[in-house]
Amino acid sequence: MEPHRASGFAQYRALLMKDIRQELRTREMLTSMVVYAVMVLTIYGAALAQVGDTVQVTAFAGGLLWALIIFTSLLGLNRSFAHETESGCLEGILLAPVERPVVFLAKATSNLIFLVAVELLAVPLFFLLFLSGAELASSVPMIILPLAVGTVGVAGVGTLLSTMVIDTRGRDVLLAILFIPVAFPLLYACVSATTIAFMGVEGTFDAFWTACAVAGAYDVIMVAAAWGLYEFVVSA
Amino acid sequence: MAAVATGPVAVVTDASPAVLSLGDSARADAESSSLAPALNADPGATPQTPAASVPAVLARGLVKQFGARRGLDGVDLTLPAGAFLSIFGPNGAGKTTLLSILSLLSRPTRGSLALLGVDALEEPEALRARIGLISHRSMLYGDLTARENLAFFSSLYTGEPDEQRIDELLRLVELDHRRNDLVRTFSRGMQQRLSIARALVNDPALVLLDEPYSGLDPHAAELLDELIERVRPGRTLVMVSHDLAKGFDLCTHALILARSQVVAFVEKDTVDAAAFRDLYLATVGTGVA
Repeated sequence: MEPHRASGFAQYRALLMKDIRQELRTREMLTSMVVYAVMVLTIYGAALAQVGDTVQVTAFAGGLLWALIIFTSLLGLNRSFAHETESGCLEGILLAPVERPVVFLAKATSNLIFLVAVELLAVPLFFLLFLSGAELASSVPMIILPLAVGTVGVAGVGTLLSTMVIDTRGRDVLLAILFIPVAFPLLYACVSATTIAFMGVEGTFDAFWTACAVAGAYDVIMVAAAWGLYEFVVSA
Repeated sequence: MAAVATGPVAVVTDASPAVLSLGDSARADAESSSLAPALNADPGATPQTPAASVPAVLARGLVKQFGARRGLDGVDLTLPAGAFLSIFGPNGAGKTTLLSILSLLSRPTRGSLALLGVDALEEPEALRARIGLISHRSMLYGDLTARENLAFFSSLYTGEPDEQRIDELLRLVELDHRRNDLVRTFSRGMQQRLSIARALVNDPALVLLDEPYSGLDPHAAELLDELIERVRPGRTLVMVSHDLAKGFDLCTHALILARSQVVAFVEKDTVDAAAFRDLYLATVGTGVA
């Protein structure tokens, strides 16, 4: 009799819960990302303290915020496969009858959860430190939308790329080198949408929705591509 | 192929692709180049209970290309179910590449492969549930407990952890008393025993061992010997080893790889340890690889 086979969802859940359990136990990824984010915010604070009210922070706050998110994410993404490679655990997973895209989806989901957890701390802190006195043009949902769409894309593309560089020398640097060009359309769209949401110049809200649509389309295309390519990536 | 038979030992002097099954070469010839006999031998056989007549491993012309370099070059192999094959060879001979293909972690560039009567290149998913791999790397998460590790890998095969089997395996590898301890607190020997439990979590019919004795002290190696003997019944084992004496002692069949090719394949009954050592030195020790 054929032994009972696990469903793709059951395998996804097992992989995801394993990542969450491990991170909650070690807090390696979350701690390093939070410390890095706080450090960047401190540097931003020191720089902006020198200019006082002479510059309008909202004009470039979108760029600052996304720089914070991207580089914090890269740090976490680099750590996300550390446990899998240390003792050959990824091979152990690939030995099992698990569809490779399920492995990708589980890892991308756990990365997304950890990125959102850090953003829940870092983004309010960013607003508190630099935008507390500023008049923002948009409502909170319009500020959150590009953040949400962008974070999904960062987690998806970042997971694919961090798998690709898993066995390379200098993978920390290589991930950044690959990630920025590949994710550029997403980052450009998200920075544009966030800046428009902050500034709210008359007549630019069409551009906001266009940027969000571009970022959303990028997410769909890249996550679908990652889903299709993952078998090849982990077998190479 | 220039094969020189010297008593019970065959020596292939030109390192050409060859399979020498001493004492049973006629069977190897009969199984020749097609997978069809193996695939059709017992269509009713379930994956967990392959018919004894179906070879556990039937490889023909396996080639693995890494850019310009050839990791495997036309490897043929026929291994009966229930056998214990030890694979020997110098560094870079292709042993780990062969094991990687047999474990379905890697696909050959060319050639055909049937494992347990199933075409491994056409139906790898069906086979993965029936193969276990024990490597010199533990494939265990240091920040999970012994039980959590086994539960995780069990879930990948059956959806929910098979708690009864996990308990049995922890008792088998004598780690029941450490079930709730983090794996990173285990000694190398304990990790290797737990790694055996991990590899058996899906009750595999084919168990692959990649230098499992690497880094173990003599006592831990002795424990591993015992464990291998205990898990052996009803399974086919393939082990890559650098330890000629131990590998030959455990096996029923032995294979020597050099320069990415099979240079000798013997049934243990047909050759003693000293003669096999001579064969190894004749094929490899002269700087073949």
